[in-house]
Amino acid sequence: MFTSFWKWALLGVIFAILLLMALGLGNNPRDIPSPLVNRLAPVFDAESLQDPKKRVRLADYRGKWVVVNFWGSWCGSCVVEHRDLIQLAMRARVRGDFAIIGIDFRDTREGGLSFLRRYGNPGYLHAFDTRQKIAIDWGVYGAPESFLIDPEGMIRLKHTGPIYKGWFEKVLLPHLGGKAATTPAAGESTP
Amino acid sequence: MKRSLMSILLLAAWLFVPLLHAATTDEDPTEAKVREIGKTLRCAVCQNQPIYESNSDLAKDMLAIIREKVQAGESPEEIKSYFHQRYGDYIYLEPTQTGSNMILWAAPFVGLLVGGLVLAAALRRWRRAPPSKASPSVESVSSIQAVDPPQPSSDKEALQARIQKEMAQLDQ
Repeated sequence: MFTSFWKWALLGVIFAILLLMALGLGNNPRDIPSPLVNRLAPVFDAESLQDPKKRVRLADYRGKWVVVNFWGSWCGSCVVEHRDLIQLAMRARVRGDFAIIGIDFRDTREGGLSFLRRYGNPGYLHAFDTRQKIAIDWGVYGAPESFLIDPEGMIRLKHTGPIYKGWFEKVLLPHLGGKAATTPAAGESTP
Repeated sequence: MKRSLMSILLLAAWLFVPLLHAATTDEDPTEAKVREIGKTLRCAVCQNQPIYESNSDLAKDMLAIIREKVQAGESPEEIKSYFHQRYGDYIYLEPTQTGSNMILWAAPFVGLLVGGLVLAAALRRWRRAPPSKASPSVESVSSIQAVDPPQPSSDKEALQARIQKEMAQLDQ
């Protein structure tokens, strides 16, 4: 009934549809690329989680690389990354060329503080963003998410998911001008 | 008496129901704008649900930001653009009709057109093609002989010879 041309055309169409479906299945629907990468980071001036009288401002860190880490006491993956964040904070203090700011969002003050008491205080400042205004301003949709800001205030990288052991060497160090484990690339980073 | 009372009640209902409906839909203009914008933006933590219909905390806080911006006098386009700059094309429930998104809009129509053309070409081809000269099966031979007009003797002889040959094969 079909000539060989039509048979091959039909097979080609079926193959193309299956290929598109397979490619679609490989996508993570939660992994939304950030259009903020390579743009100026949105500024924030929020009260500190630990001391409501203190302000946490991104502008105060101009001239340094900054890791902005969004977290919340309600987030299970934030517990997973916390130990590695404490290690990263120790490295930041020793090196002095980068800093970390935490943003505790969609949280209660008591919840955030008891998280730090329970899992350890990494020693850097945390902005308190209970109505998640900063989080939405940064295009955050889950936790943990981290952004790398360059000394000029440009977002160079968005990392979705927990920071892991070796993240400093693999992701951060190439940007800081150290020996690159891989070529530093601006954009997205997922574990 | 009963009938006239019923008529009055029906008339009253007919007159007052639209007024009641108007009272319930008398929405605050700010809230109407928030709803209009909120229905076009996707909740980033739910699958394919507008933020206006989502119960997630993120969607509620996004609506609060929309409300603040509407009250500050920002236009719906400015507010949508604010979210687009932060979440990208993903935030729009309906893809924008610009750039590579035009492929998404045009693809179904192009597909329909190409499919129609292919189908028309195939139909024309099948109609032009001569009927196949497949030989009839053994089971249908007797019926063909009963209803068909007499065939040329050479064809008939060939058919009979074939039947005999196949019958002989069956006997073996």
